[in-house]
Amino acid sequence: MGKKDNYELYSVEMEKGEDGDMDVQIKKKSKGGKKKEKLEHMKKEMDINDHEITIEELELKYQTNVTRGLKSDYAADVLIRDGPNELKPPKGTPEYVKFARQLAGGLQCLMWVAAVICLIAFGIQMSEGDLTSADNLYLAVTLIMVVVVTGCFGYYQEFKSTNIIASFKNLVPQQATVLRDGEKFQINANQLVVGDLVEIKGGDRVPADIRIITAQGCKVDNSSLTGESEPQTRSPEYTHESPMETRNIAFFSTMCLEGAATGIIINTGDRTIIGRIASLASGVGNEKTPIAIEIEHFVDIIAGLAIFFGATFFVVAMVIGYPFLRAMVFFMAIVVAYVPEGLLATVTVCLSLTAKRLARKNCVVKNLEAVETLGSTSVICSDKTGTLTQNRMTVSHLWFDNHIHSADTTEDQSGQSFDQTSDTWRALSKVVSLCNRAAFKGGQDGVPIPKRIVIGDASETALLKFSELTVGNVTEYRERFRKAAEVPFNSTNKFQLSIHELPDPLDLRYLLVMKGAPERILERCSSIMIKGQELPLDEQWKEAFQTAYMDLGGLGERVLGFCHLYLNEKEFPRGFSFNTEDMNFPTSGLSFAGLISMIDPPRATVPDAVMKCRTAGIRVIMVTGDHPITAKAIAASVGIISEGSETVEDIAARLRIPVEQVNRRDARACVINGGQLKDMSSEELVDCLKMHPEMVFARTSPQQKLIIVESCQKLGAIVAVTGDGVNDSPALKKADIGVAMGIAGSDAAKNAADMILLDDNFASIVTGVEQGRLIFDNLKKSIAYTLTKNIPELAPYLIYITASVPLPLGCITILFIELATDIFPSVSLAYEKAESDIMHLKPRNPRRDRLVNESLAVYSYFQIGVIQSFAGFADYFTVMAQEGWFPEYCLGLRAQWEDQHLQDLQDSYGQEWTFSQRLYQQYTCYTVFFISIEVCQISDVLIRKTRRLSTFQQGFFRNKVLVIAIVFQLCLGCFLCYCPGMPNIFNFMPLRFQWWLVPLPYGILIFVYDEIRKLGVRRHPGSWWDKELYY
Amino acid sequence: MATFNEKKTCSQRMENFSRFVWNPDTGELMGRTLEMWVYISLYYAAFYCVMIGLFALSIFSLMKSLDPYHPDYQDRLKSPGVTMRPNIYVDDEFQVIYNMNKNSTYNQTITSLSQFLSVYKVKTQQEMNKDCNNVTDVASLLTGQQHTKYACQFTTAMLGNCSHEFDSTFGYASGQPCVFIKINRIINFVPKNDSVPFVNCTAKKGDLGPLEYFPPGGFFGLQYFPYYGKKAQPNYTNPLVAVKFLNITKNTEHNVECIIEGKGFITDNLHDPYEGKVSFRLKVEN
Repeated sequence: MGKKDNYELYSVEMEKGEDGDMDVQIKKKSKGGKKKEKLEHMKKEMDINDHEITIEELELKYQTNVTRGLKSDYAADVLIRDGPNELKPPKGTPEYVKFARQLAGGLQCLMWVAAVICLIAFGIQMSEGDLTSADNLYLAVTLIMVVVVTGCFGYYQEFKSTNIIASFKNLVPQQATVLRDGEKFQINANQLVVGDLVEIKGGDRVPADIRIITAQGCKVDNSSLTGESEPQTRSPEYTHESPMETRNIAFFSTMCLEGAATGIIINTGDRTIIGRIASLASGVGNEKTPIAIEIEHFVDIIAGLAIFFGATFFVVAMVIGYPFLRAMVFFMAIVVAYVPEGLLATVTVCLSLTAKRLARKNCVVKNLEAVETLGSTSVICSDKTGTLTQNRMTVSHLWFDNHIHSADTTEDQSGQSFDQTSDTWRALSKVVSLCNRAAFKGGQDGVPIPKRIVIGDASETALLKFSELTVGNVTEYRERFRKAAEVPFNSTNKFQLSIHELPDPLDLRYLLVMKGAPERILERCSSIMIKGQELPLDEQWKEAFQTAYMDLGGLGERVLGFCHLYLNEKEFPRGFSFNTEDMNFPTSGLSFAGLISMIDPPRATVPDAVMKCRTAGIRVIMVTGDHPITAKAIAASVGIISEGSETVEDIAARLRIPVEQVNRRDARACVINGGQLKDMSSEELVDCLKMHPEMVFARTSPQQKLIIVESCQKLGAIVAVTGDGVNDSPALKKADIGVAMGIAGSDAAKNAADMILLDDNFASIVTGVEQGRLIFDNLKKSIAYTLTKNIPELAPYLIYITASVPLPLGCITILFIELATDIFPSVSLAYEKAESDIMHLKPRNPRRDRLVNESLAVYSYFQIGVIQSFAGFADYFTVMAQEGWFPEYCLGLRAQWEDQHLQDLQDSYGQEWTFSQRLYQQYTCYTVFFISIEVCQISDVLIRKTRRLSTFQQGFFRNKVLVIAIVFQLCLGCFLCYCPGMPNIFNFMPLRFQWWLVPLPYGILIFVYDEIRKLGVRRHPGSWWDKELYY
Repeated sequence: MATFNEKKTCSQRMENFSRFVWNPDTGELMGRTLEMWVYISLYYAAFYCVMIGLFALSIFSLMKSLDPYHPDYQDRLKSPGVTMRPNIYVDDEFQVIYNMNKNSTYNQTITSLSQFLSVYKVKTQQEMNKDCNNVTDVASLLTGQQHTKYACQFTTAMLGNCSHEFDSTFGYASGQPCVFIKINRIINFVPKNDSVPFVNCTAKKGDLGPLEYFPPGGFFGLQYFPYYGKKAQPNYTNPLVAVKFLNITKNTEHNVECIIEGKGFITDNLHDPYEGKVSFRLKVEN
């Protein structure tokens, strides 16, 4: 295919240069690529150093002013120069190319070739002066029609799913606040240009890559870019030489969570970091789907057999003494007869049925062929944030009363809660509820608590929701404890405190509550609450605290400490004016209440889904941009690292030996971070993937994700990638099947993916795997069913050539079998239930387990197909004999029979037939051959229900669609036979009832024979019988 | 799938193929060891033997079930087809076109006609068949031993002026050509209501001039019906009607259609131009 030749490998290298610059280079390694294209990519190699230079330099560079912004007219010029600030949608394939692609698959090509051969044969016949038979022309037209109609169908299917995906796109234009000529404007974000001074505040999406000039507690969520679920602080300081790490750059399309900032735009549109990653994705070539490869393999088999047969009979025809051209026409006819006309429609319909079934389960498939890919998948590389996790900080553990309690982290609060009777808990919950600045947005009473929108940073949000869930109405609670003073969190104190009045009118004390980094909180405490009693904080308790802190930290969780103090009412009477600047109140000697840790918890369905994937032999690898500890913790909690599996580091820690002394093979699990990955050669990575079954990659960059996917593919795996962020999109594209999240997913991810989970539910992947495997099995059955009748369709022609009998089966009749009566039954096999628990099998080996293997073709063609042919000929000779033409008389009769000038040909009884009478007799033969094939095909569809189990075990009538299909097939057969006018339109003749019965014994034979075959296969697995006859 | 998409070079493909043909490591020839080949061949040989046996059995029982004297069904033979002699086809139509002055244009026709009529010679007919003229009970006359039947004579004498004896050129030389109309045999076909069928030739356009039919009136005698089949009536000869065009317009092409008029004859089948009728082009040049 042409696509292959243009195979290009892109790599984006983000490495630190000698001078400390961060180079973002997009290199294109192309074999003989066009020079012009290369040049364009060269241009993209540029540096970002805007975070290093001073503001004055920046002003100079972009001719802007940090107080007044750009001049409007200059901005307009820049806009014209640079274009609007939006990501150019990946150059969408033009619709006609999409349609053309539908016409150019493996099977389609086979049919095109066949159509051309038909036309050539027709041409030869025309030139020979044979004007009577237009069969070849009809055939060519039908073949082309089939390709075009199924093409339209497939195109329509893809068009529909594209529409579903498009409807998810956010169509509301983004607004941005910009300063130009010293005045504030609200303009559409796509009008922004480099040098513009913009303001962002909590809740805004960053409108371009900006260098921060001023910031007030600004935090951004970079998870879609880097995969980190923790909010990142943004401030004007230059903190890191890497633009990805430094604090003074905020990236396009990331979310500003809280605070506010102003900044100068340094990059817009496709030149932003996110734009480059997105363009990296569009540079990655699309991979051929496994099913397309299987179909090509199958077409190879068909074509090989067709040419073999055609050539054989060409030689036979020449030996018999046919003229060369005539033999050539025979050759072509045989080759064409081998083309299973109905198969294309069957495959397309089966795939779209599965696509529909998947869509009902919220998996939308963009490319029909991708339906099966999940079934072949052997490795899933999953992103963490938003895919495996909820992308929402949630309280997961509490430590109080010297005990770690687990909180309920499920999305729907269906999990177990902890013991809430302790007095310490009451004290702790008071601190949690009061020492919190986050608040629910109004008007959300009906919304379940975890889904409510909160104003505040991620951990405060988590705590707010937690206390709302455990304590109850926090807003009202806070009103009862009127706030007297408050010190917000800052990075020097690392704590936050507030002072409240108590609601009890008799108790006039103030309550001081404080939360913050645990070690800082502990420093300020002199006592600790245990079971409601304040005990002095001695070394023993400190150690207990340390252990708990380490334990929680080891889980990859963010830990906060909480303490409180009842202020002496004498020293601090009501109305005391608390000064938060001077801290005219005690901030030490407090009473420690407990620790609370938070994490972005895994989605509830994920551990189960991962488990199912594992039983299905699919390896789940986590690839995330987040920190190794968090990644490992989540991996462990969802089962990607199973219980009891250790990493090299774990073993080293357990045995108290240096890491180097550990035998790497003993470690089942392995966590590799981006830094380590960078130093690994691709062979080392492959080795690593082979050595450790449980892998977690942390701190990975987008192109490292790409490399990981490629390495897995190098091992022969079929790789699925799930992800939601822009950083995942190149890997999504590279994967054999990319699965994007529908709700959380970015547009770039959705564009790159082949499948979209509308409900973001990782468990849907399991459904996808199941359906994919099922459709692979069922397609096998459908194809076996469809192929079988090729032989009874071809045999009449072969006998016609060699034994010169009147033609037993006509071209139009064959087309009716292929495209009318047998389509529905073959499609109905797609509804067949799985024979065994397919989710407990290993994924198929793409090298060994082919869709169509030799034994399938041979068994269908040379056994079942042969029985069908005999059935057809038995019925054919019956009809001929009963109408007056004995079998031995038929042999060699062809020349006279087809002589249009012979109006008195004698039959075996001496009766004389005109040409037309013979012709209608021939149509009768067509029809009996047709119904013979039909009767045998009914038997065939029953045997194809299973490949190993007995049909009785599978249930005769379990597949209702199949039963309906058989009834439909019979009705259609009757209609064709008995509808008046058929003889002259489609050459079907009404038949006597007993002729329907002639093929019946052969049908029964097929059924019995196949049952014996299956019995042998079941009884003697691995035997000769199994090897030769199991397909 | 990177590994699968890597383009194989031609030599690699050849190597793969030759490895498929003969794999020295496993001793496999075309994917199977020799022993396996023997087994699979034996299996297929057995399979095909059984299948051919079953097929032979079904054909054998079919032949057993057939009646040797008349076919089980005559679904296509509701009404006999009609043909004519001379039967020269040009452009899918019978045609009789000749120049009465050039005997080379019709000599071949005459030869084939004499050949066709040779079986109707009086002597041959008398040897083979019974004379049914002036017999009232034809049926009992024809009854032979067991299933066999005799057939009635049809002699060239009945063809009158169109017989070879009257004119060795069948009127072709004189510009009064004879054509012979023949009804196809169908076992047990009898014209209904004992009406005697006859030939009626007309021009599709224009006038044919006077015609003469032999036997007179163009009748196919009822004694020739029904036909009892090759086995019962091996010597049956089809009755004929000769049509003589006495005064045909010369140098003009006539489209002649000869229809069998008689009850039980279908003549209006759109899809079979030779059922119950025959048409031809006639042109006599001089």
